[in-house]
This record gives sequence, C-alpha cells and structure tokens, in this order.
Amino acid sequence: MKSAEKFEYSAENKKKYDHLLTRYDDVESALLPALHLAQDQNGYISESVMKYLSELMNIPVVKISEVVSFYDMFYNHPVGKNIIQVCTNITCSMFGGRELFQDLCRQFGAGQLKPVNNNKYMFQKMECLGACEQAPCMRVNNDYHGKLNLDEAIRIIKELD
Amino acid sequence: MSENLKANFEKYALLSYHHIPEVHKIDIYESAGGYVSMHKAFKMGPDKIKEEVKESGLRGRGGAGFPCGTKWGFFSKDRKQKKYLLCNADESEPGTFKDRYLVEKNPHILIEGMIISAFALGVDKAYIYIRGEFYQQAKILENAIEEAYAKKYLGKNILGSDFDLDITVHRGAGAYICGEETGMISSLEGKKGQPKLKPPFPAIKGYRGLPTMVNNVETLSAVPWIVNFGGKSYRQWGTEKSPGTKLFSISGDVFRPGVIEVPLGISLKEIIDNHCHGVSGSRILKAVIPGGSSAPILTAEEAMEVTMDYEAIAAKGSMLGSGAIIVLNSTRNIGEILKWTLEFYHHESCGQCTPCREGTGWLDSILKRKLFHKSKLDDVDLMDQVASNMRGTTICALSDAAAMPTQGIIKKFRKELETYISTQGNN
Repeated sequence: MKSAEKFEYSAENKKKYDHLLTRYDDVESALLPALHLAQDQNGYISESVMKYLSELMNIPVVKISEVVSFYDMFYNHPVGKNIIQVCTNITCSMFGGRELFQDLCRQFGAGQLKPVNNNKYMFQKMECLGACEQAPCMRVNNDYHGKLNLDEAIRIIKELD
Repeated sequence: MSENLKANFEKYALLSYHHIPEVHKIDIYESAGGYVSMHKAFKMGPDKIKEEVKESGLRGRGGAGFPCGTKWGFFSKDRKQKKYLLCNADESEPGTFKDRYLVEKNPHILIEGMIISAFALGVDKAYIYIRGEFYQQAKILENAIEEAYAKKYLGKNILGSDFDLDITVHRGAGAYICGEETGMISSLEGKKGQPKLKPPFPAIKGYRGLPTMVNNVETLSAVPWIVNFGGKSYRQWGTEKSPGTKLFSISGDVFRPGVIEVPLGISLKEIIDNHCHGVSGSRILKAVIPGGSSAPILTAEEAMEVTMDYEAIAAKGSMLGSGAIIVLNSTRNIGEILKWTLEFYHHESCGQCTPCREGTGWLDSILKRKLFHKSKLDDVDLMDQVASNMRGTTICALSDAAAMPTQGIIKKFRKELETYISTQGNN
C-alpha cells in the first residue's frame, strides 16, 4: 500500500485520464471515472490522491472528499487487496445473506470494512447488488458469485491471491 | 442460416436475441437481424420515428411508467442546440436485475436503441450511467460500443448522414439515489448524487443545465423493435393503457427465479405458477412485493387476482415500478421483511431533505428498538405517523419509497407486525 507516498497516475493511467477528458464537455464530469482510475491504482482514495486530483482537475479537495464519502464504492481508508461484498437486501436476506456476512466475518476475524489477514481481505455488507435471482449473492472484487452457502463462499475467498 | 440464429421478433421485443450464442458480438447480432432498425430509422427521419414511438404507447420502464413519446415531445426540437441522452442503467431498486440480464447478453440492442433515439432527438452525445457494481457489464457495453465505432455506427457522419453520435459508459460508485434521474445527473456532473427540484424537468434543464433526455435501458431497447415493426404492432401486446411487453425480475420463494419478457396485463398468478414453476419452500403464498422494494406489498389473495399492468396494480394500492417481483411464502416473517427494507432506505437517503433523512432513520430505529427491549405497544401507530409525514414532502421520491411499503405492511399485516414488535429481543 503506497498510502503515505505522494500519488500520481501511472503513465498508462494518465493516458486513460487524458482520454476520459475527451468524452465529457467539462472536467468535473470526469471526476467519478477519474476516482475509479485512481482507486484501481492506489487501492483507496488517500489524501494524496485527493490532492493530486484536485490540482489535476482544478476541483477543491473538499469537494472531492465530499464525493468520495458519499459513494459506498469509494474508500477513504486503506482497504484489503480483495474486497468481498455480501448483499443483505430483501431477497438475499431471505436466503441467509445476513448470516453469510456475519459468518464470513467470524471465520476471517473481520468486521465491516476492516482489512484482515495482512490486508488480504476486506468485507463489506452491501445493499441490493442487482442479482436477486442468485440469492444469496456475493461480489468478490469485480465478479459475482451466487446461490452460495458458507462453505462455498469460504472456498471462493481462500482461492484468491 | 438456421432459424435459431435469427431473432425471435414474433414473441419478444427485448429478449428477441437472447437464445443466440455470443450475440454480444456485433457480427452475430447483425446477422440475426440487428441494426436493421437503425438503417430503417435513418430513412424514416426523426419525426416519423418519434411518431411511431408515440403511437406505440411505450411507457418508461424504469419505474414511473410515463409515456416515452410524450416525454420526447417535451424535448427541444432545435437540432442545433446542445443536448444529451442519458441512459439509466443504474438498476438499483431492490429486487430488480432485468437491465443487467438484458445488456450482459445483448449490449447491441441498447446501443441500437440509443443510436435511433439520439437521431430522433437530435442529440450528439449520450451516456450510459451504469451502477458501479456492474463492472463486467460496463466492460461488455464498452466493447460493444467499440465495435459499433469500428462499423461507423457511432462517431462522425453515421451512415453517410450529417448525424454524429458519441456514447460513453459512465460508472456509478454505489448509491441507490443515483437511479433517480436528477440524482443521476448530479452524479454525472461529478457531484454527490443528490436529486434536484423538478421543475425544471431534465428534458428542459438537465445535465450541465442543458436539455437531457433520461430513459431507462429497457425503454431504449424497445425502440428498435418499434421502429422495425411500427408503433401499432407493438400494441398487439399488453393492454390499451399499458401496451407492449415488459421485463420482470422475479426472485424470492419461487422454484425458478429470473427474468422473463411477457405482455403487460398478464396475471401475476401465471407468472408465478407457469413461468416460475410455483411457490417454493412451504408452497403456500403469503404475499408479493410486485414492483421493487418501494412498492406496497400485496396479500396472497390480492396477488392471485391482480394483472401486471400499471393500472391494475395501482388499483390494488401498489405499483408496477421496475417490474421487480419478490415472492414470499408462508414461512416469511413480515417484520423482518420490513426491517431489511427500512435499513436499506435509511442507508440510502442522500440526507438532503429533513423528512427523508430523519424519517428513514426513525422508521429504521423504531422497528429495531425491540432488539434492546425498548419497543412500545403503539410503535406501529408511531411508524404510520412518521411515514405519513414523509409522503410528498421532499425533493425526490425516496422518502415516499420508504413510507409506502411501511404503510402497506401496516395496513395489510398489522397484527403480525404488532406481534413482531412486541416479541422483544432478537428472534
């Protein structure tokens, strides 16, 4: 985790950022994609990320901070290498989504948004993930896994790098 | 080419291509009958397209059910004026997963629908706002858009005309409120996704203060069929006031959950019994949430007699919403269902309006105080009163969306809710 270091986009991401700007009619509109890009690179939106984007995009740090804190998928604190999101909305809860979340936390000694196992994992209780037909469902990094029981969920998580 | 590699336009307007392997690839989509409507639309011209859409009676499929043709009619007709098309792919209403199912298999039906719609509306820049969780689906759409650029269906001078169009996929970052059209616009502008007062409506003053047409994925994806076969033919399906087909996302206690496309006006009984193979678990139906978590609950009796169109569900005091059906069998505890619902709205209130920020918090806390042995006998009345004060008092509909299911459950399952509340502690 390069949290304390000064952040800047990698050459590849700077190129992606420049391309982003061509897709919008003003710089502010590119903020969400610019944050996604920065988070992909840095793991989370640290103060130095905000400072960097503030200078790059000419948006006050406080406005960026406000946006980061508003959305569940932006993190303003260090995260685990793998983010495991468990849905606890209506249908998933009907099929044990809440118990799944609690049991996984217990199994890995984790809590909501607290990285564990040398920052290998971080668990997040989520609202509807839009995959109710697969209840209970879990999103691991960018992939969905459905119709899970605890053993399967543990197996999927333990297979992660 | 074998018949099963051709689109099935007789039965479906939206899932016409879903049986075709790898239809996400532009060549396969095209050889199955895709992009024919786009070519046709460019020959028809903008006015004729708008006429067909109006004639079809297609209603907004995101939840509100407002006639698409009428909404398009409010939009500036000045083709030189800068304006935007914004496709709502946020799909955040609990219970809903139809747009995901549609675009992850067939992204081109949406892109074709957007090209036709943008051409009709005189828009040269369009965005697909997709919820952040749908990362893979965003990639699928981006790849499909790239294919469309390569074929020159996007970019400058499309099909040799003077019409240009760029489509960009814009990922959200986990916020229910961004599915509300003005919240979505705030989010696209790089801000917190807080809704804005209407009027002015986005069609007049939207993204960056300019006219913006916001349409749901399913609405835009119905446009190619309508252009291809005519607005009148679209009315072969559905009812007089709710024409056409609709995608329904069905989850909960059924043997076969998933997405189906059926004519509006079909009975809920037929959906549950035939399409979903019946109620699972206890096999006894208790209740149905018919249109996403915001829709007031239907008792088993009501569910067995209702038809799935905008009017019939409204007549039962609920709403069709996004077409998200959550089926509950007789073992389900109504208090728990309400608890999960209220926790959601409390978490997702954007905090802008006091009745919503405080109201969603209080509803959630009142129902949960049984955990601390603090429930009171009149808590149900208190919740009813709090919910009443949340109705129609805020900028957007989230407050109502929390109040409506609460009052629905109080009205229809009061006894059970009272028992739930009076059973102190965590049961």
